[in-house]
Amino acid sequence: MVEALIKRVLVLPIFLAVLACPTGVQAHQLDEYLQATLVAIEPGQIWLDLNLTPGVAMADKVLGQIDRNHDGVISTDEAAAYAAIVQHDLSVRLDGHSMELKLAAVNFPAPAELRTGWGIIQLEFSVRPGQISAGSHHLIFENRYQPVGSVYLFNAAHPASLSVQITGQQRNEIQSTGEITFGFHPPSNPLKRAGVVVLLAAPLVVLLARGRRPRKRLEEPAFPGIV
Amino acid sequence: MTKRIILISTLALLCGWPAFDGFCQGNATTRKAPAEIVASAQSFLALLDEAQRSNVVYDFKDDVQRRRWSNLPTTFVRRGGLRLGALTQPQRAAAMALVAAALSPQGFQKVTEIVEGDEVLKRNDSGGPGGPGGPAMFGRDEYYISILGQPSPTEPWMIQFGGHHLGLNLTLAGTNATIAPSHTGSQPASYAFEGQTIRPLGGEMDKAFALLTALDEPQRKQAILGFQMHDLVLGPGRDGRTIEPEGIKGSAMNDRQRAMLVDLAGEWIGIMSEDAARTKMDDLKQHLAETWFSWSGPMEKGKGYFRIQGPTVFIEYAPQSLGGDITQHIHTIYRDPQNDYGVEWWKH
Repeated sequence: MVEALIKRVLVLPIFLAVLACPTGVQAHQLDEYLQATLVAIEPGQIWLDLNLTPGVAMADKVLGQIDRNHDGVISTDEAAAYAAIVQHDLSVRLDGHSMELKLAAVNFPAPAELRTGWGIIQLEFSVRPGQISAGSHHLIFENRYQPVGSVYLFNAAHPASLSVQITGQQRNEIQSTGEITFGFHPPSNPLKRAGVVVLLAAPLVVLLARGRRPRKRLEEPAFPGIV
Repeated sequence: MTKRIILISTLALLCGWPAFDGFCQGNATTRKAPAEIVASAQSFLALLDEAQRSNVVYDFKDDVQRRRWSNLPTTFVRRGGLRLGALTQPQRAAAMALVAAALSPQGFQKVTEIVEGDEVLKRNDSGGPGGPGGPAMFGRDEYYISILGQPSPTEPWMIQFGGHHLGLNLTLAGTNATIAPSHTGSQPASYAFEGQTIRPLGGEMDKAFALLTALDEPQRKQAILGFQMHDLVLGPGRDGRTIEPEGIKGSAMNDRQRAMLVDLAGEWIGIMSEDAARTKMDDLKQHLAETWFSWSGPMEKGKGYFRIQGPTVFIEYAPQSLGGDITQHIHTIYRDPQNDYGVEWWKH
């Protein structure tokens, strides 16, 4: 099951000498944990796409939280466990109701890449709000994961569906909390529309049928021979 | 202008690109027909041996290679194709002649300045990787060139050129061409060369700040995002995503401000060859009313993040806090929301 969640593990060649000579890396040293969230709202589902980039100064600490048995490999269980830790500090509320997040996919770079400060951990969560009613809705996302040393980005993805329109976005100054106001205007169901047409048309058909039958009767004597 | 050309020519010669001589002697508004770019590609390929050719040419449908570009040094994200430092001088000159042929003069100048800036970074980065005794991480040798497909005046093909702070993805399809998506960056963002200050992304920085200051107070309130932006939202590796636009819409600007917005976007669009850039600029002007501008951070030149987003363009400029002075380390991205990699010309 966990394996199914692992899309792929990036293994990028990192020169050992680069790792052994951190002076050069310091010119690009990241001392922050960048946590970028993209929220994609679809008619029946909401996706949270988290890109986590621990800087070189944070990497060992983050790696320690992931590679719990310190064998230098991020196993599928360790990846899932770390995703669960992050998930614990995320919350989504839709129209005031707390939503359950489900882990949909993870993608962890190799430990060596994480240590460079350039590795990106990708976590994807889904939220199934059930049937969303037509009209305006309000989503609040909060990321409380590792606030010390973290910087955040929060954005609503431009909806792929024409029935969803983002009408507003708000964040706190550090973007650890974001709010999205959106409208959901589903197209009317063609089957329902057909049903309405049938319902409206039925009496007309009956009337027409009734109208035709008398005419037929007029043409055909009810009692042949007595005209 | 002449001084500038001489200066850039000297920079290019330092980079070991003799072909740049011919480029500088040409008229700055000379247009390159697809056949000329193809001829440049064939000249380059003709100078390579069989092994090099097989390393530099990829199948046009190779999406892994197509997406193999980054803002990061090549030691962290390995590029495909041939490394400039591994080429002979004539091969290197031919490679750069190809890049020059596919870009506008000002686009090639920007590329030259970014690459030379990385050489400055290498020199300043003493003792570590890229410095004495360490493996190369920065510098003009650490840029790669690759070709996807067969150079053709009619069929789609692609040239990729990039390394640290540069990821150019040029898709050519007959008379159509695009550089979307491409990354430009610089560190240091300004450096001295022969008594002059070189600022590879200086136009971007200056024009954005000029536009911000040209907005009146209510407009600026719309344009300025009330939160911090630490990085690009749709940088390298974020293909296929579109975010909801924010800030001030072109329709809420006056004619002068709209012209400034077009001019600012032209810093990226103008990297392309003149014909391609003109087409793209016309697209932008057509959709200007629906094109947004936003700013985040202090109202100081070079210290703010900004974004231009519309139906035909997506641009971000993000100063980086890494390495100290945020005005000296810049990442930018240019995308076409509808036509990254020129897909509308070949993906059916």
